[in-house]
Amino acid sequence: MKSILRIALGIIAALGGFLDIGDIVFTTQAGALYRYDLLWAVALGTLGIAVYAEMCGRVAAVTGRPVFDVIRMRMGFGLGLVALVASTFVNVLTVAAELGGLAIVLQLLFDAEFSLFVVLAAIGLVFVVALLPFGGIERVFGYCGLLMLVFLATAIHQGPDWGEVAHGFVPSLSDSKLYLYFVVGVFAAALMPYEVHFYSSGAVEEGWDESNLRENRLNASVGYALGGLLACTLVVVSGFLFHPVGVDPTDLGTAALPAQGAFGETGLLLALGGILFCVGGAAIDSSFSASYNLAQFLGWEWGRYRGPRNAPRFTVSWLIFLFLAMLIVLTGINPVEITEYSVVLAVVALPLTYFPILMIAGDRSFMGKHANGLISKTLGWVYFAVIVTLAIAAIPLLLMTNGGGG
Amino acid sequence: MKGEGEILIVHRLLDEQILDSDGKRCGRVDDIELRGSPPRIAALLVGEGLYPRRLPDRLRGAARKLAGPERWGANALRVPWEKVDRIDAALHLCCKAEELGLGEGDDPERWMVRRLPWN
Repeated sequence: MKSILRIALGIIAALGGFLDIGDIVFTTQAGALYRYDLLWAVALGTLGIAVYAEMCGRVAAVTGRPVFDVIRMRMGFGLGLVALVASTFVNVLTVAAELGGLAIVLQLLFDAEFSLFVVLAAIGLVFVVALLPFGGIERVFGYCGLLMLVFLATAIHQGPDWGEVAHGFVPSLSDSKLYLYFVVGVFAAALMPYEVHFYSSGAVEEGWDESNLRENRLNASVGYALGGLLACTLVVVSGFLFHPVGVDPTDLGTAALPAQGAFGETGLLLALGGILFCVGGAAIDSSFSASYNLAQFLGWEWGRYRGPRNAPRFTVSWLIFLFLAMLIVLTGINPVEITEYSVVLAVVALPLTYFPILMIAGDRSFMGKHANGLISKTLGWVYFAVIVTLAIAAIPLLLMTNGGGG
Repeated sequence: MKGEGEILIVHRLLDEQILDSDGKRCGRVDDIELRGSPPRIAALLVGEGLYPRRLPDRLRGAARKLAGPERWGANALRVPWEKVDRIDAALHLCCKAEELGLGEGDDPERWMVRRLPWN
């Protein structure tokens, strides 16, 4: 009974930790522009992160190796360094995007200067990390992120033509560059690399071993499937409300409006609260990922569980990354723009971190009987091909569509 | 998995995480010293001074400026093979990191972290 409860709680944490500012921005815009047409890309991205996270969690549980440990082992110092620099750049940009998102939501809730909230958000995150143990951080943000369920209720309340919604899950391509840009964006937002950096390092922080493999499978399948469902809901509510009237939701606050339309001020507050916790959790995950990666690559001591005294370089680098991200937001670049760049650049960096994981997860000399089976192997390689294709297409699409501006 | 015998040094040893006898993470195997014929592993080499030689020629100069030139005993350390206890999911030493000068970068005194509240 206890283990069922623990697993259920883990799934909720995975579900709450799935959505971040990238998902919210891209799904809301995708709904507004293309109604339900891009739901298939959300589903495809969700399956992708589930496959990838399951492999990373399994490798971490069986070998005790998080992602960048594996990258250094399999790609060596030179190529591994390229992966490290690219991932760190993307991760810091992501932290900046999440911090900006936090500040936008805080600004909507309490009227004051944006830059003040950026600084307060960063300080708030340091306090949260100082006060809560590792598992507590994951759970608080995961459970409170469930406020996002208000969007599911909104979708049901709106009562869209469900046949049309279902049709959105049939993959379709068009020669519109903007449409293709959103295919890449929605897919990449689901597959942000920091999610697996954090997930696998978290598995080591919590001392996972082979007995946690079932938990890992359930987190990746049920947890991420529910997270994907929430992401799909964001497309649906935005498509229902914004697409017919041609609203282009260029700021984060607009994403919360459908909930207000359905449930008035309560709905709005629940939605803003949900976004606040999702984005806040993602800010911690992505900033931790940046220092996990650096410490693992260079062989430093790392982990929230070690404390600053035993892992000083890890701790100091975390504070520095958070500070850098804060400076990026304070330059005044629109956080939604930072988000779009971080998501699109993330897919470019993704093959470098995905490939070594695929190699080691299939290597029996490391994984023994837990090496990739036929299904994981097939899905793993299919997704690798998809990721490489999208990585090649991402930058040209970003430039040709002027960052989704059309 | 240690002792006499063969080991795939690039597959299994190079770039491996090093843990000391207390389980403290104290660097990675940045290079390997081989001696004799047939070659035997004499020592593991650890430290940021060794990073430049792991990079392509063109980047080596820039890396030396960043990491500093190789200074043995300071930023490049030798871990005699006898000090390796076993290799499983990581490489375990049979002594403390300090005895070999490893992990000094994680000395809390250098980083003013003692007073941080989440110790």
